[in-house]
Amino acid sequence: MKKRSNTFLHILQHISFVAAAVALALMSIGAHVVVEDAKGVKYYNVYDKEGVSFEDSTLFNEILGNNVYDIICYGAIRGQMETNGKYDAKKPVDVTAFANRYEGSMQEYITAEYYLEDLIKWARYGFETEEAFMTGKEVDDFLSKMRTVTYVDYEDGDYAGGTISYLNSDIKKNTHVMDVSGNMMSENGDSMRDDTHATIMKNRYQTIDGKNIEKYVFSWNEYYELCDNVQKAAEDLQINYEEYLKYNEYYDDENSNIVYYIRKTIGDEVIVYSNKEVKSDKLSVLEESLKEECSKYIYYDPEKMLYDTNTMIEEETVRYVLNGYEYAYPANTQILIGVTDSYHALDVFSQVKNGFDNYSPHFGLYLSIAICSVILYMLLLVVITINEGGRKQEDKIPTEMMLVFAVLIAAAYAYVIIDGEISIIKALINNSALGIVTGAIALLTSLLFSFFYYSFIRRIKAKILWKNSLARRLCLWIKKIMLHVYDNSSVVLRVWIPVILVILFNIILILTKRIPGAIIVGLTDIVIGVLYYKTALDRQRILKGINKINSGDTEHQIDEKGLHGDNLVLANAVNSIGEGIRSAVSTSMKDERLKADLITNVSHDIKTPLTSIINYVDLIKRENVENPKVKEYIEILDAKSQRLKQLTDDLVEASKISSGNIVLHWEKINLVELLNQTIGEFSEKFEEKALTPIFRSSEKNVYINADSRRIWRVIENLFNNIFKYALAGTRIYIDLHTKQTDNGDAQVSLSILNISENPIKVNTEELTERFIRGDESRTTEGSGLGLSIAKNLTEVQKGKFEIAVDGDLFKVILTFPLLEEK
Amino acid sequence: MINILVCDDDKEIVDAIEIYLNQEGYQVHKAYDGEQAIRMLKELNIQLLIIDIMMPKLDGIRATIKIREYSSIPIIFLSAKSEDTDKILGLNIGADDYVTKPFNPLELVARVKSNLRRYTQLGNLNVENNALFSAGGLCINDETKEVTVDGESVKLTPIEYNILLLLVKNQGRVFSINQIYESIWNEEAIGADNTVAVHIRHIREKIEINPKEPRYLKVVWGVGYKIEKQ
Repeated sequence: MKKRSNTFLHILQHISFVAAAVALALMSIGAHVVVEDAKGVKYYNVYDKEGVSFEDSTLFNEILGNNVYDIICYGAIRGQMETNGKYDAKKPVDVTAFANRYEGSMQEYITAEYYLEDLIKWARYGFETEEAFMTGKEVDDFLSKMRTVTYVDYEDGDYAGGTISYLNSDIKKNTHVMDVSGNMMSENGDSMRDDTHATIMKNRYQTIDGKNIEKYVFSWNEYYELCDNVQKAAEDLQINYEEYLKYNEYYDDENSNIVYYIRKTIGDEVIVYSNKEVKSDKLSVLEESLKEECSKYIYYDPEKMLYDTNTMIEEETVRYVLNGYEYAYPANTQILIGVTDSYHALDVFSQVKNGFDNYSPHFGLYLSIAICSVILYMLLLVVITINEGGRKQEDKIPTEMMLVFAVLIAAAYAYVIIDGEISIIKALINNSALGIVTGAIALLTSLLFSFFYYSFIRRIKAKILWKNSLARRLCLWIKKIMLHVYDNSSVVLRVWIPVILVILFNIILILTKRIPGAIIVGLTDIVIGVLYYKTALDRQRILKGINKINSGDTEHQIDEKGLHGDNLVLANAVNSIGEGIRSAVSTSMKDERLKADLITNVSHDIKTPLTSIINYVDLIKRENVENPKVKEYIEILDAKSQRLKQLTDDLVEASKISSGNIVLHWEKINLVELLNQTIGEFSEKFEEKALTPIFRSSEKNVYINADSRRIWRVIENLFNNIFKYALAGTRIYIDLHTKQTDNGDAQVSLSILNISENPIKVNTEELTERFIRGDESRTTEGSGLGLSIAKNLTEVQKGKFEIAVDGDLFKVILTFPLLEEK
Repeated sequence: MINILVCDDDKEIVDAIEIYLNQEGYQVHKAYDGEQAIRMLKELNIQLLIIDIMMPKLDGIRATIKIREYSSIPIIFLSAKSEDTDKILGLNIGADDYVTKPFNPLELVARVKSNLRRYTQLGNLNVENNALFSAGGLCINDETKEVTVDGESVKLTPIEYNILLLLVKNQGRVFSINQIYESIWNEEAIGADNTVAVHIRHIREKIEINPKEPRYLKVVWGVGYKIEKQ
């Protein structure tokens, strides 16, 4: 169920991504219209304020503005190429005047006139020059003896069309051409000119007069200047000719929705350039026909300072453009430009209008779809990101490979979409397949993104981002090899090879790389130091472990994780030694327990017949036996059976304590109280043997932590011991005092001193062994377990049990940690 | 005539007990396993049962549990098991007393007597008197200054009497030697004194059947003395 809903969410996410992409594409790319106008491919963004018609949009005015500029340029070129409204190949061109057409009119200059056609062709072929060495004589022959000067007589007064627009003015009428004698000639006509190196331009074409360039000039300077002018004029005209052809095509009535009339008046002559049939050159007629056909128009008459338009194009703009071509337009010029209402031609206007009309009404829809889809996508992204990883997906491809794939694909996308803008985005403009193509690309993008993104999310969630990476494998591999080498080499190699390598590394880097080298060396040395420190830490850990085991914590195990080399071997050895000790201890504990159980069971079995013995001995005693011998025997039987009883009890107790088979009930015990109680209990017994206990305590109350009945058992055993073995009529000294140990812990020391009746032959250690008694006679009462039990019980209660023997003086010293009174 | 049932798988022990009890004037019936004991209990009018724990067929513990379903007669366990845990278990499942083997015949007889007295006499004790204090079978009449254990009068010295009265009045509370000293002698204790301990031992010897395993006056070693709350 969860899987199905997740799949559904994924599909929904893809859909929302595609929807967002398509909507955004329609909004952005769809808002662009690509059209080819006279100057080449142009892009227009059709987005504008809603509710504005195309003709009132800034877009329309932008396009119209571009066309106004083109038409004014076109008009200027037509003036250069045409005579009486038609292309004139044989139109004479004054090269110097043309080359300097932006400079204004000159008064006196050297020029040559070529046919338009010749200049264009010459520019197409290219100009050739050659280096030549000429003697003075040859120079005389080459250059003219006269210079041909063109002279404009401005004194004559008014020039129709104005002096600045000389190409279109009637200056020509007042221009005189004359040959002027060179002033460097000697009187006898001999050459005054020097031998020289010269760059000669080849005359591909001759002037209208059929002459070469050099025949118009007298000096080299004049020659070179004229050559330059010819070349410049030809090249400009060639470029303009190409433009001219393009504009002819572009602004042909069939290809353009633009209607234009350019009316020039020079003197009496009126020239009208238009892409419409010109029925009359009368201004009013032109204006009327323009307004009739075009609802949007511009009328500009700089001479009368008239500007009339219903577009957003300002007079200033038109005037500025016109000023750029003032050489081409006489003062009396009228510009009339409009856009037909019919949109009959497939040109920039109709195309953009089409895009605009198609796009504008849907903009809001696209925008809302885009926003909704983007929000939906983001929501789904969050939801799926949280959900993802529940399924057991196999993300076995190494992380880096995924990363590389992802980066490669992203790069491919970047190349195709961003860098390759021309190829895809531009191809999509005006393309009816925009939606489908965008959708397909978006779907692919979404699938790829989801694939990579969720794979990474799953990896992060499954915590295999690093685990599945090649870098990790590489690290592990290097680590393994290094450790292998390290673990398997001898001590000498292991110590000295790294040291030598590090020293060499340091020296080489510092010597070759200086400061950066020193930095690298410093960093690596720190790393090495850290590694060394870590090894020392491991060593310390092992030492701690050894100490712990040594101090009795046989359960302790040294964590072998992260240990290598010697340390690992060491830790291994320590652990196995610890293991050995542990098993030995537990075996011996088990043995002790078995022994205790055995003793307990045996003692139960002994007790039953013993009961009968005791009972029947007692019954015999009641039978008033007269025979004194029998009486004596019965007494012995009685005493021995009682001793057997004591012996079995003590045996069970002793074995239980030594096997640790007892449970202690810890409580706060007052030793002073305990000793008073015990002395009270034994008072009769002591009196019997005339023993006097002398109890001295440094404090009124001395508290320790112990098991009430067990501590009593200890004291009872000791007192019983005294009762049995002390010399009658002596004193027993019981001293209790607190003291501080060397490490500051407070302790209680209890010493019980008495005088033995018999010489003590065994040493103090043997006294606390089981079944050992001071007299070794084994004839008196007691099991011989008393001291052993007392000692074991003391130790179980965290006390210390010591025996000191000095001649007949028998002293037991018990030491317990003092429980501070609170 | 009081009938006592003795049950042990060791015939000699049963016989010995029979001799002791006969001397005290009790009629003894003998059984050698738990099943037999239960059977005989139903057939005969038995006033007290002495039963071993480790027996064939039905052990003493299970037999006691069964008997306690219908009878409230005194039951004394007689067992070689001397561990505290064994004693606690036995007393918890319904036994009135626990004697470990090998036992002192006199002690056993004393315990039998004590339990019988409790069973037959204590039920109709007059407890109206304000000056009457009791803990189990131990009774003190503060007006007559008389102390009885299971109905038998005990003679105590004035100091012993006062100590016992203090402990019985405050059953369950542990008194240290100093506390007892201060409240009986009305003097501050000097410490390191075993007078009280000696008195206590004397009291125990008078009121307890086995002073080493006291039923009433218990020694909490290293802390003090108390009368167990009953």
